[in-house]
Amino acid sequence: MPSDRLYVYLATGCFFGGFLFALQTLRSGPARKSWANLTVMGMGFLLQCVFLAQRGRAVRQCPLTNTFELLVFVAWCLVLLYFLIGATYRWSLLGLFTAPLVFLLQLMALWAPDTPPAVISPVNFWNELHKSVSLLSYGAFALACVAGVMFLIQDRQLKRRKLDKWFFQLPPIHYLHQTIRRLNLFGFVLLTVGIIAAFRMERSNPGHNLTPVYLIWAIYGSMVTYDFTRGMSARKGAIASVLAFLAPLVTLWIFAH
Amino acid sequence: MPLLCLGLSHKTAPVEIREQVAFTPRELGAVARELADLPDIAEAVVLSTCNRMEMYLGLETAERATEARAQAEAWLRQRFNIQREFPTETFFQHQGVEGVRHLFSVASGLDSMVLGETEIFGQVKEAYRAAHEQGATSRSLNKLFQEAFRVGKLVRNSTEIQRGATSVGAVAVELAEKLFGNLAGCQVMLLGAGEISRRTAQSLQSRGATSIIVSNRNYERAVELATEMGGRALAFDYWQKEVAQVDILISSTAAPHTIVNPEDLHAALRRRSNGRPLFIIDIAVPRDVDPAVNDLDSVYLFDIDALEKIADEGRQRRQREMQRCEHIIAEHVQASALFRPVEHLRGQLSSLDSVPSQTSRP
Repeated sequence: MPSDRLYVYLATGCFFGGFLFALQTLRSGPARKSWANLTVMGMGFLLQCVFLAQRGRAVRQCPLTNTFELLVFVAWCLVLLYFLIGATYRWSLLGLFTAPLVFLLQLMALWAPDTPPAVISPVNFWNELHKSVSLLSYGAFALACVAGVMFLIQDRQLKRRKLDKWFFQLPPIHYLHQTIRRLNLFGFVLLTVGIIAAFRMERSNPGHNLTPVYLIWAIYGSMVTYDFTRGMSARKGAIASVLAFLAPLVTLWIFAH
Repeated sequence: MPLLCLGLSHKTAPVEIREQVAFTPRELGAVARELADLPDIAEAVVLSTCNRMEMYLGLETAERATEARAQAEAWLRQRFNIQREFPTETFFQHQGVEGVRHLFSVASGLDSMVLGETEIFGQVKEAYRAAHEQGATSRSLNKLFQEAFRVGKLVRNSTEIQRGATSVGAVAVELAEKLFGNLAGCQVMLLGAGEISRRTAQSLQSRGATSIIVSNRNYERAVELATEMGGRALAFDYWQKEVAQVDILISSTAAPHTIVNPEDLHAALRRRSNGRPLFIIDIAVPRDVDPAVNDLDSVYLFDIDALEKIADEGRQRRQREMQRCEHIIAEHVQASALFRPVEHLRGQLSSLDSVPSQTSRP
């Protein structure tokens, strides 16, 4: 076992703690602040950072050379966004679900093959930038999708005036709408940087199939542009975020296989 | 030290009697001191709210409980110049373990008119603090009240007894907070100047809503209400023009037909920024708002029946939680009795004999 995998095991343990906290919170009532949970998540994030730094040094590029590294990187993106988006998100059910999701991704990563690259190709800065920033944008789109689902659940309950236990656990519907817009915009900006990097990468090292990435960029681009220029209703925005995420999901699946 | 709890509450006495024996918060410490100075009473805490007046007394000996009660009652009648004796069914008495159980229930909001309300917890704390500052409490009541605060917190945090609003106004405020997160900066418009809508708007204001617009067919009445609430009045014919800026619309006119229709809101919704939701509360009967309005994106309409239903569900939910709360209280009542020194336990055990079924664990 490469020694850097130990950090992934330890980080998985931390996120398992967050997972247990989420379970306990769901059983006992509304989501509440917990500094212990935040500390556990922070420790998990630091361990992920140490792993990615060590693995990056070993493979002499952004550690995305196999499925194991890819899954750890996506999990790292989700935790990064967990800390970036803000307190309202962290203390809500949406934030609460980050730990189980990340725990699951880490477990999948540990089961996935971790074969070192046959040839360590020379580092291409634009290639590295394209891959890492694009994956980070996918993380933002994933969270926008989760927020979209939560918005639609809440919207349906409010329209039908049937409010169950879950209703009071969800973040305020207006916050969810704002979160969806911000995450889509943030993801789109990152993906644009990734696309620019892809252009540069193609110039120096041609032959990559970038059609799926362009397609994703076009989908989110038109969505964000329409929303910020003409205004999209909150409900339509949530539906669009859920449906649009199918594109990065399919791309990731193709990349992993 | 044996415990005796005497008093009356909304469960035993109507307001006409309760108001005769009410103390102001400033008096609580001094009256506790006066009670503690009576011959058979060593410690005292007096709790006085709009729903109850209760005296928690630490007695010198359990054998003198009857005398202590007589002294406390006489002191109370003298204090309020009441000639007649209190009827037994009005002026309740809990002794020993039952007194402990009653205090824990009161502090947890289980004995309140609105089940699970939290204000009582602060009032019990205040009553204890006032008595303690006057030197009217000592080791026994200090320990007992500290335990009551611990149990009160435990009941609140580990059950859903305070979850869900139980009145129409509270449901409206809770829903508004659920929609907007923070009501600071929310704009509220009142269509009509009814009492419930006024109270609901005041509740929203107390939670941070900053701007109130009152629109009424009788403009003078709108100005009057707007002045009272620190808002502004608007001629009734212009409400559609302003609704684009509004977050919460409360309607309670006496109109015989609907006055808020989907076509009134279409243009307003287009002018609204950032997909902000519009929360409409229709308290009028017959209804002021066309139910089709609820089909519009980002518009959430709740009429009086919907609000009542949620309030009723809240009340039922709290009722269902009662058993869990009573279980927690029973556990702590037993624990506090078991860990007390034998001589303190003796007085409480005597009362256990009279109420065996209530002291066993559920």
